[in-house]
Amino acid sequence: MGTEGLGAIERLTRELTRLPGIGPKSAERITHYLLAHRGQAETLAEALFAVKERVKPCRECFNLTEGELCHICSDPRRDRSQICVVELPRDLAALERAGNYRGVYHVLQGRIAPLENIGPENLTFGPLLERIRRGGVEEVIMATNPTLEGDGTALYLSNLLAGTGVRITRLARGLPSGSVLEFANAQMLADAIEGRRGF
Amino acid sequence: MAAEKALALVVRTVDWSETSRIATLWTRELGKVRVLAKGGRRLKSNFESALDLLTVCRIVLLRKSSGGLDLLTEAQVAQRFPQLRRDLPALYAGYYIAELLADSTEDYDPHPALFDEAVAALTALGTTGVSTPLRLARFELVWLRELGYQPELRQCVVCAAEVEEKDGLVFRADAGGIVCTTCQKKTRRGQDDFLSPKGLAALRELSENPEAWRRDLEDKVRVELRQVLNRYVTYLRGKPAKLLPYLRS
Repeated sequence: MGTEGLGAIERLTRELTRLPGIGPKSAERITHYLLAHRGQAETLAEALFAVKERVKPCRECFNLTEGELCHICSDPRRDRSQICVVELPRDLAALERAGNYRGVYHVLQGRIAPLENIGPENLTFGPLLERIRRGGVEEVIMATNPTLEGDGTALYLSNLLAGTGVRITRLARGLPSGSVLEFANAQMLADAIEGRRGF
Repeated sequence: MAAEKALALVVRTVDWSETSRIATLWTRELGKVRVLAKGGRRLKSNFESALDLLTVCRIVLLRKSSGGLDLLTEAQVAQRFPQLRRDLPALYAGYYIAELLADSTEDYDPHPALFDEAVAALTALGTTGVSTPLRLARFELVWLRELGYQPELRQCVVCAAEVEEKDGLVFRADAGGIVCTTCQKKTRRGQDDFLSPKGLAALRELSENPEAWRRDLEDKVRVELRQVLNRYVTYLRGKPAKLLPYLRS
């Protein structure tokens, strides 16, 4: 059902319930909070409008940015010989929070999921190949999610990059630091055993 | 609301909220079920990483009497198919199996033989020496048989005469089987695909012999089988499968 014909309060409540993680009660609470704090409502409205109007994909890596290039691509201190391939901008943000990667990124804008009608043509494989063809890239790090579809996407990309001479690696998987073996699930342990390395 | 246990294959998942997930599971005991896995997206949950696509898991669910989603309370990985992550055609064949199970079967209509066949096919796909197209064809023929659409490959679907493996035969998707040369002239053309003597022999063997997919076939015959099965499955579903463009013969 559309929101036409509803009063302003009902309309805002209805729109809020469409957001992830917000149910009808939370939506109603937020609506009344904004009614009581009108200045904040205006700031929020401006912020929403700015995001809609100004944020777009980076010309180089498809991260979100307000300019032509994102803050990572325009940073001269980043190592351009390493490209870390992620599914979504929020995966990039998670890796940045880890703080130990100094290369650049490429955001595929999803993963190959034929069951959801998402094929390779819907993702940014073409621009990634173009970046690699321009030269200077020595390593592509696959950081797609460790799900069947994420691994399938990485497999497709590794086939695509075969013959380019670029080293292809993928994120390690297994036990998180600080955990204990007893409470690790079977898959974590299997991955850790498979991915063991010299000590 | 009693808890029920089952062995399930994950055939579809959709993120529902920040932490929950809706999954379509094809179970051996209950058939297809749709469940809500509260907390299913969290790393630490009762579902571990069991709700990944094409994972076999042991589940416990609470069935909803009102017709809503069932509630998944536990899921533990029973089997994964890691070789699919190293072979794209095999992976796409696996997705196709998931699509056939998810979209073309009814809820709570169990077919243990089809479940076993799906697991056997997923186990074989992507392993050394296994032909992905032939293994998939065997699965499709079991899927057709279990759903009551087994193609007629021994008799003409028009005159019911026994048909020998000879030139000039066609498989008519909208009639569900082969049409002899005599009846082709007498009847209106349907959704026909040419079927060579070798093609018919291969289809018969794949349909009747559970191990026939282990044999090798000429490329030409494999293409024929793919065409016949694609057309028949598409006709029965009323639309082409999403994975059809990804399947190779």
